[in-house]
Amino acid sequence: MTAHLAAIGIKKAYQRGKIAVPVLQGVDLEVEHGELVAVVGASGSGKSTLLHVLGLLDGPDSGVVRLEGERIDNKPDRQRDAMRNRTFGFIFQFYHLLPELTALENVMMPQLIRHGVFAYMSKRKTIRREAAALLERVGMGHRMEHHPSELSGGEMQRAAIARALAGGPAIVLADEPTGNLDAGTGQTVLELLRDLNRERGLTMILVTHDHQIAQQTDRIVRLAEGRIEEWAPALA
Amino acid sequence: MYKYLLCWRYLKTRYIALASVISVMLGVATMIVVNSVMAGFSDKMRDRLHGVLADVIVESRSLDGFYEVDEVLARIKDACGQEIDAMAATMETFGLMRWKVGPRDSITKQVQVIGVKPLERAKTGDFAEFLYTGQTSRDPKTGKMVDQRLSPPSFDVSEELKLNSSPAGAVLKEMPKGDNDVFEQELREQMAQQTPERGAIIGWAIGTYHLAGKETDEFLAPPGTKIGLVFPKAGNRPEASYDDYTVVGYFKSGMSEYDSQHVYIPLERLQQMRLLVDEQGRGAVNAIQIKVKPGVDLDALTQKLQTSLEHLRPMFFKVETWEKKQGALLSAVAIEQSILNMLLFFIIAVAGFGILAIFSMIVVEKTRDIGIMKALGASTSGVRGIFLGYGLLLGAVGSGVGLTLGLLFVAYINQIEEVLSKVLGHKVFDDTIYYFSEIPTLVSPWTVCWVVVGAMFIAAAASVWPAQRASKLHPVRALRFE
Repeated sequence: MTAHLAAIGIKKAYQRGKIAVPVLQGVDLEVEHGELVAVVGASGSGKSTLLHVLGLLDGPDSGVVRLEGERIDNKPDRQRDAMRNRTFGFIFQFYHLLPELTALENVMMPQLIRHGVFAYMSKRKTIRREAAALLERVGMGHRMEHHPSELSGGEMQRAAIARALAGGPAIVLADEPTGNLDAGTGQTVLELLRDLNRERGLTMILVTHDHQIAQQTDRIVRLAEGRIEEWAPALA
Repeated sequence: MYKYLLCWRYLKTRYIALASVISVMLGVATMIVVNSVMAGFSDKMRDRLHGVLADVIVESRSLDGFYEVDEVLARIKDACGQEIDAMAATMETFGLMRWKVGPRDSITKQVQVIGVKPLERAKTGDFAEFLYTGQTSRDPKTGKMVDQRLSPPSFDVSEELKLNSSPAGAVLKEMPKGDNDVFEQELREQMAQQTPERGAIIGWAIGTYHLAGKETDEFLAPPGTKIGLVFPKAGNRPEASYDDYTVVGYFKSGMSEYDSQHVYIPLERLQQMRLLVDEQGRGAVNAIQIKVKPGVDLDALTQKLQTSLEHLRPMFFKVETWEKKQGALLSAVAIEQSILNMLLFFIIAVAGFGILAIFSMIVVEKTRDIGIMKALGASTSGVRGIFLGYGLLLGAVGSGVGLTLGLLFVAYINQIEEVLSKVLGHKVFDDTIYYFSEIPTLVSPWTVCWVVVGAMFIAAAASVWPAQRASKLHPVRALRFE
């Protein structure tokens, strides 16, 4: 069986002035359907970069990204935009909600981006209902009409999780989802992700530097010096 | 869909951007006001010009004119009789006017002497509408002083005017009737000397002047004043002819060029005094005023007349429309308006750069949001669309509000002028300069349309570059932007 998402020989360097700083130096990673994988590593080890390459936010200098065996990193912009919208759901450390919109509108965003005016108008009730249901699911039913500035960190992250799911993705990419939260809240958020992973069969890749958090995933991958260093079964 | 939602939200939350469209708004409002007022002025001016001048004027190149008036009129009728409403022959010449003011002084002015048959001339334009007796009365409704019309137009010197405006008449008035025939006879002769039988209608600006703070103008030459006119006689040797008239009325068209120059006297008298009556008793004229039926193409008619009259007497006649005769003035106004428009449009262009600067700032401020949208699948063109749409929306808001303000200002311009005059303590719009009782305006829908479209275009154009920059942002760098 082919892996759900696979990275093969990913290399990526950043240009700092005239010097190219290598970040990823040949990363190989395979993630199975429904797997919850933690990527750990020191800061600056390239965890986020790997996630961006996997989620088509950035292209690798060399190497291949495959989704269900099909190469996706070299697709035209349009298709990559569409895949970010439909296949991947992103969760960020700093929540990254749009400040002008309410929690509900933020959650509706992937659908708003997907549909044009007329398509949206004809489906707006469904879109609204589904977004509201997602907010209910993450325990934010009472905060739908609030703007991000009126929400706490944990609430914002829960809204961001709902948004990541709103496009109906198969893969969720979470970049330090608990990094900006206190331990208790972080634990709740992780449990929420864990539950969603189980109940919806979502494939999840979670970047963290917190071992406490990483321990609770299916598998831990360590990234050091631009390479995958160690594969460790977490819940063994 | 997200583009429209975000455009709308940005519009509602970014007040700094709204401030940037205030300049667009002011530019649009100013352009509408200035254009409307200038169009109003030029419209009114054309109206007045056209009122004084007939539609088409046939002139002889010679000042002495021609005796074959009937033939020329017949020829004109022959050529375009169907299109002509009325015609009036006139004699125009330059001259000097001199009259006494007070016990010692006298005034001499250079004038345009025009011999007319008033009733005939009245049929070829608004001539009769501009004639006043010099008497004023208070309008019971508005409480303002109103000038009395000289109607019907005539040069007759009334008995009352004679008696009232000469020293001999004053004595005559007091004298019991039929008491002393010889003395009365003598006085009547003196009165005829002091107020000649022949009337003249002089330009309002010749006969009056305005004192600040006075409701009505002061007379330099009140009704009944005896004026002396000097004008050239016909013939090869330049010689002057002198003649006396009594002021019976005033010509007030609102065009200072005419009001300060024109003196109307009876045509027959002018012909006699210039020695322009031939053996058969025909008097010469040097202009024929033609009123054309509505809807006729004046230029085509002018050409037809010119050709036709050229056959009658080559190189002698000059046929012109009223517009052509005042071509320099009208085109000067048109040029003035277009230059002013250009300058004002620069204001909006400056506003465009303001939008450009503020938009660039907003794009920087929104860098992270742009990254988020891209992560959620927004395309490059979609992000560009947000900012282009935002620019257009700002332009629409700016020019919409500017349009409303401008039109309101135009609608209430006279009330605004009144308030401003009160606040500033002096009259902002001095109606004695133009003889307009209020500021004329004319809103041309096309001009308004162009101004609004132009302003929106500039606003949208100013947002192109920032929008382009926003759309080109790399999602990862945008997300990491602090």
